[in-house]
Amino acid sequence: MLVAQVEDLSKRYGTVQALDRIDVEIAQGCTGLVGSNGAGKSTLIKLLLGLLVPDQGRATVLGHDVALDSLAVRSRVGYLPEGACLPGDVTAADFVAFMAQLGGLPPRPARERAAEVCYQVGLEEERYRAVGGFSTGMQQRVKLAVALVHDPSLLLLDEPTDGMDPQGREDMLDLIARIRGELGIDVLVSTHLLGDVERVCDRVVMVHGGHVLAQGSIAEVAGTTEPGFGIQLGDNGPEVLAALAAAGLEVRPSGGGSGGPGNSSPVSELLVQGPSDLIRDVAAQRGWPLRRLVPRAPSLEETFLRLQAAAGGPPPVEPASPPPAPEAAWGVRR
Amino acid sequence: MSEVTAPGGTIYDRGYRHYEGPREGRGRRVRAIAVAGIRRVLGLKRNWKTKVVPWGLLVLAFGPVLAFIGVRVLFAEAADDFFTYAQYLRIVAGLLLLFAATAGPELLCPDRRQNVLALIFTRPVTRSDYLLAKLAALLAVVALIAIVPLVVLFLGNTLTADSAATYLGDHLGDLGRILVAGSVLTVFYSVVALAAASLTDRRAVATAGLLGVFLGTSALANILFFTAQFDGRRWVAFLSLSGLPGRFVDWLFGAGFDPGTLADQAGFTGLGYLVAMAVVVVVAAALLTWRVLRLRA
Repeated sequence: MLVAQVEDLSKRYGTVQALDRIDVEIAQGCTGLVGSNGAGKSTLIKLLLGLLVPDQGRATVLGHDVALDSLAVRSRVGYLPEGACLPGDVTAADFVAFMAQLGGLPPRPARERAAEVCYQVGLEEERYRAVGGFSTGMQQRVKLAVALVHDPSLLLLDEPTDGMDPQGREDMLDLIARIRGELGIDVLVSTHLLGDVERVCDRVVMVHGGHVLAQGSIAEVAGTTEPGFGIQLGDNGPEVLAALAAAGLEVRPSGGGSGGPGNSSPVSELLVQGPSDLIRDVAAQRGWPLRRLVPRAPSLEETFLRLQAAAGGPPPVEPASPPPAPEAAWGVRR
Repeated sequence: MSEVTAPGGTIYDRGYRHYEGPREGRGRRVRAIAVAGIRRVLGLKRNWKTKVVPWGLLVLAFGPVLAFIGVRVLFAEAADDFFTYAQYLRIVAGLLLLFAATAGPELLCPDRRQNVLALIFTRPVTRSDYLLAKLAALLAVVALIAIVPLVVLFLGNTLTADSAATYLGDHLGDLGRILVAGSVLTVFYSVVALAAASLTDRRAVATAGLLGVFLGTSALANILFFTAQFDGRRWVAFLSLSGLPGRFVDWLFGAGFDPGTLADQAGFTGLGYLVAMAVVVVVAAALLTWRVLRLRA
């Protein structure tokens, strides 16, 4: 069953085509919306909420046409926006209760439910403190409580782990997994961190430059990339890459492939697609030691990079600053 | 909440539960925003610094009235000559300007500056709901100063008069005028203050801008009237935004304009100033509506 569907949807900001006639189906479960910065993820979420009006096309969320009944959609959807959006001088409990009332709850149930949901997302005594003094991780928890407090059927999370330290990121991903697994709420997680998606999602939608690159279950999407080999050949320097490419092999660097948490191996492995005999021959011809040659299942990251390259290379908007080192192991590397 | 009672105590299941209680409609959402706005303006559940201005102005508005009534109760003959209702309303008008100039920006600016709208408008709340709630909040708190102290004064005068029934019969018209004047001033200051606040996301800029326009137009009107010579210069009396409410109040209560002032020499009646205020309110409301309906989440 689909919880959201967009058909032939387009949105343009001035000269920038944010989304270009995309068709997306969001099934029940936890779906990752993946793309580089500027790919159109946040625009798609705002269109699903009815906060933006599409130039063309149609969006349906939980059976409601967004263009015709956006208020019904918003009453059943919880949204965690990207970036700062909390009032600094109000306590978390008061603000979450206020947002519960905006979801239609009477004042007393709103206060009770705010306290419960704050507890569920890990805000205990802190909920009685002003939000302005909270760390980024705690503010993300408040935003998650706001998204959950009116008991939505669908959660739209826009970069939920943005700016969080590794432990905070772990906690947030655990919460998201719990929301889907234990609470039965469908989730759409927008992120550029493929490790996050592999960790908590069962489906993925990949977008790039306003187009959909791929969508389906993670196994299906990752399976579109042929299995290859992880190799370490000499020092894996530029001359190695050039030699392998000259031999007709598809090759790119990898930091370990999975992009998962805690994987801090250096970029010492090359991912190669092609016959293993050919790799061996290249090494033998040049006298380079072949230190490692292991079969590698394709990861989501490899698939995304391959599809992105096929669609026209780098993303349209580069991040303002590179992510800090601990996060780099989680993200899309180029 | 499910619970299990055991000999050793009670174990509560604090797991997540779906909400199955009642859900209310648009009225609840509007009321929630309005109540939150009133709390914010009055500094309730916020630190003490945010309470200084609103509660200081409330003390200034209510203090003299309560003191007068107290003195009148204790020493009946010692307090015969208090301000008239018109005089007190003119004093209150000054407080209203200060109150609205701080409360209006407090209601609108932080939501935009802190990007809280990104959450509010993802609930089933329309821009119209938001505008209606913010306006209701400001009207409520401004009316607290514009109407309530005068009503309290009227009740005090009634209850401390030799014959309450006689006083009430003789001065019932004053009660009506208090309510009309207070309501007009409430709407005037509230709508103009919110319109000013809608132009910026910085509270201080909105407050300073509003006070500057009110005081600046008053000075400009007086300078033009008393120093320049041109046909129809009496019409500059309508330029003074801070002068309009006081002149309307004087007219409503039958008090003449102070001799030699711009209002006295311009020759317009209070009805003209009421129309001028209505024009200002309509223009400000149009500006406010246009700005709020264009707000982005």
